Amino acid sequence: MSDHTTTPAKQTGATSASGAAATSAGTGAAGTAAAAGNATSAASAGSASSTTSPASARPTGQSRLRIDATDIARIAVFAAIMAVLGLPAGIAVGSVPITAQTLGVMLAGAILGAWRGALSMVVFLVLVAIGLPLLAGGHGGIGVFVGPSAGYLFGWIIGAFVVGAIVHAAGRKLTWLRTSIGVVIGGIVVVYAVGIPVQAAVTRLPLGQTAVQSLIFIPGDLIKAVIAVAITMTLVRAYPRAFRSRSRA
Amino acid sequence: MLTLYRPGTSWFYRAPAGPKAFALLLVVLGVSLLPSTYSCAALAGGVTVLAYLVSGVGLVELGRQVVGVRWIIVITLAFQVLFVPMEPAIANTARVTAAIVIAALLVLTTRVADLLDALERGLRPFIRFGLDPARIALVLAVAITTVPVLTRLAVGVREAQRARGVRAGLVSFVIPFLVVSLKHADELGDALTARGVN
Repeated sequence: MSDHTTTPAKQTGATSASGAAATSAGTGAAGTAAAAGNATSAASAGSASSTTSPASARPTGQSRLRIDATDIARIAVFAAIMAVLGLPAGIAVGSVPITAQTLGVMLAGAILGAWRGALSMVVFLVLVAIGLPLLAGGHGGIGVFVGPSAGYLFGWIIGAFVVGAIVHAAGRKLTWLRTSIGVVIGGIVVVYAVGIPVQAAVTRLPLGQTAVQSLIFIPGDLIKAVIAVAITMTLVRAYPRAFRSRSRA
Repeated sequence: MLTLYRPGTSWFYRAPAGPKAFALLLVVLGVSLLPSTYSCAALAGGVTVLAYLVSGVGLVELGRQVVGVRWIIVITLAFQVLFVPMEPAIANTARVTAAIVIAALLVLTTRVADLLDALERGLRPFIRFGLDPARIALVLAVAITTVPVLTRLAVGVREAQRARGVRAGLVSFVIPFLVVSLKHADELGDALTARGVN
C-alpha cells in the first residue's frame, strides 16, 4: 500500500478509503447485525418472487451517466471484488482452485446495472494494466492486453453492460428468467463474440478453428452462469439495497 | 499490495512513464505486424532480447517473464501446430510471446503511482468530451486501497464459516462476501460524500 499514496492528487481518495475501512472494521459486528435485520425484514415484507423496495423508483436509462459518490464507491468496490474472485486462495471448491472472475463479470452487470457494471470492469482492467497482478493466476500488466486473451478481457466490459441492460430491462424488479437470459447472453455470448475474433487476429488462426479451441471453456462458463443467477436472486432478498440506484435517495 | 514492479536504477526506470508507454506501444505494434516466417520469428526474438538489454532490465528477468507466460506459449503453439504448417505455427507463437514480454517492460520498470499520474495526465485532453480525469484517478485510487480491505473481509467470511462448520463452496462463500462488500461500498460512498465528493 505504500507506493500508491505518494501523490497529493490521490491522497484524498486513499485517506477516505482507509477511513471508511476503519469505520467498517470498528462497526463490523453491528454492521452484520444490521444486514441480517435488513434481510429478515425484506424476506417478511414481500414474497420471494416479488421483491420490491419502496424508495427511489427510477426508470433505468435516466441520468445514467451521472457518477456520484455512491457510484464511485460501488464501481471501485466491485473492481476490488473482481480482484478477490481472482485470488487462488480466495475460493477453492474442494481442493480444485477455480477462477471465479467470469462469475464476477456476470455479477457486476446483474447487481450494479449496465453502466456501473461496465465501468467497474474498466476500472478493474486499468488496475491490471498499470501493473497489479489481479488476473487469476497472478497475471497483469499491459502484456495481457496484447496477448491471445485480450479480446475476452475487453469482452468483459461489453458483457457486463449487456448483462445489466437485460437483467434490469424492466426496472428493479428482477425475474429468474430475465436474469438467466441476461447472464448467458452478456456473460458468455458477448464475451466470446468479442474474444474469439481478437484471439484469431492475434494468433492468426482462422476464426472457426479459434472458436473450436475456446469451446473448452463453455461448460465451466455455463456452470458459472447458473451460480451467478442463483447468487443474484438470493442477493435480491439478502441485501436489496445493493440493487437500488441511489442508496440515500 | 504486491505489484509487478521490480525496483531498478537504469535510465529506462527513470524515463517518464507516458513517453515510455508510447515507445513500448510502438515496438509491440511493430512486432505484432511481422509476417509469419522463420526470419521474422528470429527478428521478434532479437528485438525482445535487445529491448531487455538496452533497458537495463537484463536477461534474467526476460527468462522469468517467458517462464511466467509458459502456458500461453504451450496452448498457442499446440493449437497452431494442430491447424497450420510448422513455419507459421512457430512464427505466430514467437511473435505473440515477444509482444507480451516486451509489453511487460512497462510495469516492470514503472511504479503504479507513476502510471496512475501518467494516465491522469494523458486523459486531460478528453475533458472537453465530458471525461473527468481527477474523478477517474479517484475511482482508481479508491479501488486500489479497497482490494486489501476486501481480501480481509473475504478471510473473515471464510473463518466465520469454518468456525460454524459450513462446508466450503462457491455460492456459500460469495453471497455473504458480496453482502459485506456491498455494505462496505455504501459506507465508502457515505465517507466520500462526507469528504465533499458528490
